[in-house]
Amino acid sequence: MLELQNVNITFYKNTVNERRALQNVSLRLEQGDFATVIGSNGAGKSTLMNAISGFYDIDSGRILLDGEDISYQKEYKRARKIGRLFQDPLKGTAPNMTIEENLGLAYTRGARRGITSGIKKRDHGFFVEKLKTLDLGLEDRLKTPVKLLSGGQRQALTLLMATIVTPRLLLLDEHTAALDPKTAGKVLAITEEIVSKNHITTMMITHNIQDALTYGNKTIVMSGGRIVLELSGQERKTMTMERLLELYSSTANDTFSDKMIL
Amino acid sequence: MAMTTIMGALELGLILALMSVGMFISFRILNIPDLTVDGSFTLGSAFAATFAVQGQSGTGVLLAVVAGALAGAVTGLLQTKLKIQPILSGILTMTALYSVNLWVMGNKPNLSFFGKDTLFTPFERFLPELAAKIVPILLLLAIVTILIRLFLGTQLGLSLRATGDNEDMVRASSINSDAMKILGLSLSNAIVSLAGAVMAQYQVYADISGGIGMMVIGLASIIVGQALLGQKGGVTRGFVAAITGAVVYRFILTFALQSGMASNDLKILSAALVVIAISIPEVKKFIQKRRARRHA
Repeated sequence: MLELQNVNITFYKNTVNERRALQNVSLRLEQGDFATVIGSNGAGKSTLMNAISGFYDIDSGRILLDGEDISYQKEYKRARKIGRLFQDPLKGTAPNMTIEENLGLAYTRGARRGITSGIKKRDHGFFVEKLKTLDLGLEDRLKTPVKLLSGGQRQALTLLMATIVTPRLLLLDEHTAALDPKTAGKVLAITEEIVSKNHITTMMITHNIQDALTYGNKTIVMSGGRIVLELSGQERKTMTMERLLELYSSTANDTFSDKMIL
Repeated sequence: MAMTTIMGALELGLILALMSVGMFISFRILNIPDLTVDGSFTLGSAFAATFAVQGQSGTGVLLAVVAGALAGAVTGLLQTKLKIQPILSGILTMTALYSVNLWVMGNKPNLSFFGKDTLFTPFERFLPELAAKIVPILLLLAIVTILIRLFLGTQLGLSLRATGDNEDMVRASSINSDAMKILGLSLSNAIVSLAGAVMAQYQVYADISGGIGMMVIGLASIIVGQALLGQKGGVTRGFVAAITGAVVYRFILTFALQSGMASNDLKILSAALVVIAISIPEVKKFIQKRRARRHA
């Protein structure tokens, strides 16, 4: 369960460029909730995720994960509980290390990393089995350096790494935006499968409104650093792209950028 | 070249190979150009010589390793906690070490311990003269390299490698990248300092300026080795390349000296070698491009 209470972040405080990136953001996701987040550029979507993951320090408010106050915990410590994917497929894997080494590293998430072997023999079969679920043929390439994989393959591998030890929260920051439509669709399908199978509480930023309504069970609309709309249940089921756009322009004081309307 | 010259070049080359193995950790694995090296090499020599004068060579070498690790940790702390640029951090530690090294040596710019027992003395008792130095040096180099290679395969070692490979990923996968950098720089400088200690033991002598230019020599070894063995391959191949490079480099210098080059000119030769080895891929590309244009 993820809970945000009146979270505020201001960039460039006390200068002419002062910008309130998050304004009194409160949010509650139950265990297993899959929320999609939409909003135009600069709405605060990525800032929200970066605040939760600890990349940005918050100015005030509280962030609770399963009841534990993580508001001021260091980023790498939060990473023990939070899995994360970025838009750039290059960000999630170590290029000069092999698929197996990357997985070995991910598999020790949250555990104390000591001087026992990084890739244990008994884990080998487990890795192969997990890679098979991606259906990309990576199970035959365990010794291949990750830099030789395509963007889509790398992002799928990153997804596997982020969830190989089931995280308490999964943050997806436009993780399919840099992929071609076909690959993006595939990575989204894998995402949905992993998330629903393991009941992972998930937040996914997307610029694709259709995806935002199709995937998950909640949709959060952001604008100007605030959450302006939360959709769930019946209201969300009957929501159409057109009506959402309408609602958006009536609640928000800015309009969707061209990039949004895809 | 006489046999003793060849053996001398090989022995020196292997001691510098040990230093290159240490530098490989910071330069290639962590991707940090670490200038602490010039200071930590002398630090090792200083400890080894000071204690050898009192007949305690073993203690001196052990302390050299510990002191080197501490020096590396200081550079790491400057970089990670105080956010000082990597190159500047190294320069600062190196500069401070100049004073530290003089303290260790009792404010003397050089120390000779001729006639005292060294690490090589026990080997001289049961090995023929020609082998008495090369065998222990080779043994030490092999042990250190194998231990480091094994370490890099552990969970902690993988975390260290990932830190140098992709820091974004590392922070997102619950690895403390600051701690990894400090650990890597400690390990690297501990080995560099050990190499400095062995060098002092080998020469029965330590000099406050003994470490000057060592950073470039280490770089030359790593890069020349890579130019010889190719860019591809994993960590093991990288270590083999660094060791090969160090020995080849030493032979080039010995050959230059034998052909009448003044020893004062050695540093410019070292720098030139690094430039040449680094520029080989660019030159190749240039030639290919010109050829392609001509055939077009």
